[in-house]
Amino acid sequence: MLAKIAKKCFPRSLWVYHCNSGACNGCDIEILNILTPYYDVERFGIKLVGSPRHADVMLLSGAVTRPTLPLVKRAFAAMPGPKLVFGIGSCAVGGGCWFDTYNVTGGGATAVPVNYYVPGCPPRPEAIIYGVALALGLVDKKAAPVELKQVEFPIDVYERNKAWEERNVIYEVLNK
Amino acid sequence: MWLASKIKQVLMVMKPGVVTLKYPFEPRPAPENFRGAPHWDHTKCIGCAGCAEHCPARTIMVRDLCQEIRVLLYDGSRCTYCGRCAEVCPEKAIVMTPRFEQATDDRNDITENLELFMLTCQRCGRCYDMETTSAIDKLGLTGYRYDSLEARTVIRKATDSFRPKELEATERYERPGKTGD
Amino acid sequence: MSIVAIFVNVLLFLLLAPLFEGVMRRITARVQSRQGPPIVQPYYDLFKLLGKERINSAGNWAFKLAPLAALASILAVVSLVPFGSRVNALGGRVDAITVVYLLTLGGVSVLLGALASRNTFAAIGASREMVTMVMVEPVLAMTLILGAVRTHSLGLGPAVFSTAGAGFSLSTGVMLVAYLLALQAFVAKQPFDIPEAEIEILEGPFIEYSGPDYGMFRIYMMMKQMFYAWLFVAVFIPIGRTGLYPLNILLQLLGTLVVFVVIALVGSTNPRLRIDQAVKIYAVLILIALGAVGLAVAGV
Repeated sequence: MLAKIAKKCFPRSLWVYHCNSGACNGCDIEILNILTPYYDVERFGIKLVGSPRHADVMLLSGAVTRPTLPLVKRAFAAMPGPKLVFGIGSCAVGGGCWFDTYNVTGGGATAVPVNYYVPGCPPRPEAIIYGVALALGLVDKKAAPVELKQVEFPIDVYERNKAWEERNVIYEVLNK
Repeated sequence: MWLASKIKQVLMVMKPGVVTLKYPFEPRPAPENFRGAPHWDHTKCIGCAGCAEHCPARTIMVRDLCQEIRVLLYDGSRCTYCGRCAEVCPEKAIVMTPRFEQATDDRNDITENLELFMLTCQRCGRCYDMETTSAIDKLGLTGYRYDSLEARTVIRKATDSFRPKELEATERYERPGKTGD
Repeated sequence: MSIVAIFVNVLLFLLLAPLFEGVMRRITARVQSRQGPPIVQPYYDLFKLLGKERINSAGNWAFKLAPLAALASILAVVSLVPFGSRVNALGGRVDAITVVYLLTLGGVSVLLGALASRNTFAAIGASREMVTMVMVEPVLAMTLILGAVRTHSLGLGPAVFSTAGAGFSLSTGVMLVAYLLALQAFVAKQPFDIPEAEIEILEGPFIEYSGPDYGMFRIYMMMKQMFYAWLFVAVFIPIGRTGLYPLNILLQLLGTLVVFVVIALVGSTNPRLRIDQAVKIYAVLILIALGAVGLAVAGV
């Protein structure tokens, strides 16, 4: 029974640990912005803590650079379960502009399993609050894949495409 | 005195009251000229792949399915919302919408997929190979090669008017023969 | 009836301490012009912490023992005190020194936990906690000794309710000032929240604790806050002296609430002091408290 109460109380009091894995600090400033009185996120019970051992959620900002990769993994391992990771900013979502440079391992998903992505460069504080509210279940998801076609084509083109798609690298990047 | 100033401070902060926005429960529109997610207009796009070339995060991918179909995939995971694609598009088919509520738990949700019908050249079908669909690769076919050392060693100077003397200087330029010269 | 009073004490302190903490957080938020968490937020925090995984990162028995010792000490203190002006079965057998000792035991168990963590930040937090404890516990001890001197008895009831026993006087007034100034240090709020809640500057002594252990430390600190706020009401403010036990409890709880509001207001309008600045202030407070006890001995 205590487990049930604890589970119900978990979304109402999320403690957040902010981990900067090589960010330019733009996303860090926006994360700090949501703790200010104007966008106050403490009304959801969210508190910023300094130690990963006290935290439930890791806010990961920054493309995970090579020196910070083991450190991010250690910070994630230090968090007691149940835990979530939010990737804030385009760098944490997929590596940003620097996803294939020499020093970047390519975004939050290479280091830790990311649960929620908040893209933006930097994301507006409202966008981060929207991501938090989405995780808490207060709002519905607004992003959806968009497909636009100029003309409808006969079916065999798509079948031929499937064979080509098996060898295609582009789609692999997306579906990872 | 210290105590009086603290009491005054407490009374002072009562004046603005509570300034917190009720954001997720009340909508809050973005300001004007806000650059949010890009959106393609498939009726205007001509499939030139200029946006794919200029994207700094290389997050727009172009592929030809067959002679007539070109697929343009915008994978928003790395997009930094810089707006270069919208600036470069010759047909103004890309518009930076003020959409910023893009949070999701699956990166496949922030994609836009366009399928474009490309006309064929009257003489030979499409005038370029299926695999080389980007502008850089097309340039490789006509003569500029990106590994051309002569082209890279010429250092251009910009002047406000044409000075023939500067031009002579570049004609006499000699590549260094070996390192250490 | 006195035995029931023990359980009433423990239950009321245990259940209401997070509520007062929530009130304090809400007032801090309002002073900062923001909406703030709901008042029952600390309950959600505590239940969530109970549901987290417990990581024993230091691996020694002291690490596991420290939160239990802290919680045990504060529960012992709470079961002894004459809440509602009624001395209960346990309180009749102890005196004022026991209370001071048990509170110090709570502080020492925090130190034990911090030093057992094998973490540099925890060691710094522990050293600041030690300095604070050494400098600030004397004020508490002298408050109780003042009551003992004025009522000529070291028993817990008379020592705490000294104003009821012997009336208000100059020494009580001086002690009131000293206790009020030291109250912020007792409850570990700004300007004196140097060791404990210092998660913003360095990590406090609780850096390595997670899950239920941290929850135990949090409830320990909340109950400690409520105890000190209640002690102020019980010693210096003569309300809750009617003959009716439930009415006494209610009046004392209301007084505690007012004290918490004052703590919150002072805490949210002051910066945090450095440890060396704070030590100078604590030294002055000890001298004032000694002066009050001296006045009481002199009969004023």
